[in-house]
Amino acid sequence: MKWTTLALAFGLFFPCLDIVQAQTKKSYTLGLVAKSQGNPVFQAARVGANDAAKALGAQHGVNIKIDWRTPNEEDAQKQAEAIEQLVLSGAQGIAVSCSDANKLTDAINSAVRNGVPVATFDSDAPASKRFVIFGVDDVKCGEQVMEELARIMGGQGIVAILAGNQNAPNLQKRVQGVKNVAKKHPGIKIRETYYHKETPQDAAAKVEQVMQAHPDITGWAMVGGWPLFTDNALKWQPGTIKCVSVDALPPQLAYLRSGHVQLLLAQQVYEWGYRSVEHLVNKIHLKKDPAVLHDVSPLVPVTKANVDEFAKNWEKWLPK
Amino acid sequence: MSATITQARPRFAALRLQEGGLLLVIFILGLLLTLLGGSVKMPKFEINAAGERVLVFKINAAGEREPEFVERNKFLNAQNLIKLAKDTSFIAIMAIGATFVIISGGIDLSVGAVYALASVLGAMVFHLFGPSGLHADLSPWLSVPLGVVTCVGVATLCGLVNGTMMVTLKVHPFIITLGTMAIYRGVAFVITKGQSIGDFPQAFRAMIGWETANRLSVVPLGVMVVVAIIGTIYLSRLAAGRRIYATGGNELASRYSGIRVERVKLSVFVISGLTAGIAALLAIGYYGSASSADGPGYELDVIAAAVVGGASLSGGKGTALGALLGALIIKLIDTGIVILGIDQNYSRIIIGAAVILAVVFDQFNTWLAKRRLAAQAAHP
Repeated sequence: MKWTTLALAFGLFFPCLDIVQAQTKKSYTLGLVAKSQGNPVFQAARVGANDAAKALGAQHGVNIKIDWRTPNEEDAQKQAEAIEQLVLSGAQGIAVSCSDANKLTDAINSAVRNGVPVATFDSDAPASKRFVIFGVDDVKCGEQVMEELARIMGGQGIVAILAGNQNAPNLQKRVQGVKNVAKKHPGIKIRETYYHKETPQDAAAKVEQVMQAHPDITGWAMVGGWPLFTDNALKWQPGTIKCVSVDALPPQLAYLRSGHVQLLLAQQVYEWGYRSVEHLVNKIHLKKDPAVLHDVSPLVPVTKANVDEFAKNWEKWLPK
Repeated sequence: MSATITQARPRFAALRLQEGGLLLVIFILGLLLTLLGGSVKMPKFEINAAGERVLVFKINAAGEREPEFVERNKFLNAQNLIKLAKDTSFIAIMAIGATFVIISGGIDLSVGAVYALASVLGAMVFHLFGPSGLHADLSPWLSVPLGVVTCVGVATLCGLVNGTMMVTLKVHPFIITLGTMAIYRGVAFVITKGQSIGDFPQAFRAMIGWETANRLSVVPLGVMVVVAIIGTIYLSRLAAGRRIYATGGNELASRYSGIRVERVKLSVFVISGLTAGIAALLAIGYYGSASSADGPGYELDVIAAAVVGGASLSGGKGTALGALLGALIIKLIDTGIVILGIDQNYSRIIIGAAVILAVVFDQFNTWLAKRRLAAQAAHP
């Protein structure tokens, strides 16, 4: 009887201890505000943030919850509202990819004034009081796209730039980078910069429309990989037109294998979420500021030679 | 018997309002969010001798200085309620204008694009007089009214163009505004070259973003209330308002009774443009920038708010107060999803279902009111 009672007491006590420990663990809620729900690069960032929350939570003995508050379509006003709401709902830190830097600056500054540190990833708000920006150097990214394309084209040809949302400051910088390098190649002529809604269908339709209107185009510099998220976006014979694109999401890899695209420059989209959470945890929990304001993430070149190896990453990065 | 009816009337007066069902839905949602939302710890602030808002610190057990926190309900606190009102105001003000169009039997799909065009043109004028603008030295007494008139004037002009085209070409407003929606947004893009425009005169930002001592931004709320009051008076007290109901209720009968239907239709589109301009002005003043991508899909949000608010798409029914409450319900659900920590993937489903439920509830309330009236008529 005594043993039974003792066993029962232990049986009850230890789970209770677990619950008490879980309750006494410090908890952090971190807001993640990306540009749009429909863009798979931000879904990968979300997975990265959730993975970071689990890993860093276990490492530091804290509970970290990621509160994903991203507009269905790109809308800077809704992003600003989401930041304000996250502050009022008690989030301890926020990571945001800005659709319109000007519109988000006040919301970010207000969050910081209220004691909530803000990190930006992918697209920055330079005039705001964010403590870190994680992502590519956009001008250099554009330059790299054009350098590689010019190399593949042998320094000759007519190039079209695919540029996504005309209001996104990061994309504007990439376009600038492409143009900067194109000027250094006298044999390269830029036909035009083409903007479109950042959906795969709109982007694919834009490429098709441009190719019909300007069949003399011999190269595409895509500062984002939107049309390559569909499986039949590029209607030309493989190799006839050269293409270099930013990003290397699973549907894009098929274009490398087929030879329609010669090079993909992968942004570390999973790391957008992972690294942002890491920066926020360092700031909030460890009271540690980043060494530099701009934590630059380099582009990873993906070609036909390393595409299969790179593809394995996506098994981890995609939402389950 | 008649004395009993007279005494009972004030007690249930709210429920007999056309918007009684909406008020009840708002009350229930608010109650649920207050009870289920839990509490949140926020840093404590105080105003120092220099008038600045600064964090309050305390000394902890280890002798370290750390920020002091105050605990408060996540939903039922002044800052959250004012934020809710501010977020609602942009859509609600446009929804009030759209309700005029809907009551007249029309539809305005261009409100989001008018909002974007008015925003960017207003922003361009304000930018000229901003700190780094070409005419930065102009007095705010001139620069601010110029920007305000541009922003609101452009939107009103867009409404006038919509109305004139509809009346003169005798084409359904759905087609006209579908076309102008693309044109206005296209114009906004062409003139801005896709760039975001900011850097406005401080006087303008301070006017729209004016805050009370405890940092509550009440200007959008105040403007929304004023627009709703004017809209209500216009629709329910003025002959012009009654003519809108008459036109939407039965256009042919209105024409035979001497109402200049074309003039009524033109006026509602002008009002819709005007309200889109007011909303745009508030938004650029509050957020401090404008771009041609502003207001994506807002036309649907605005129409949804008007319909939830009791406006009938077949015309002849709707109120300004209903439009405001409709917008508030949609924003309340949106806010509730964040406060309750519900996965955002479900937000569209929840909002869609709630919109339908709110309309059904409102219709049920209207049916009850009609039944009550019929019963009173049968047993006076």
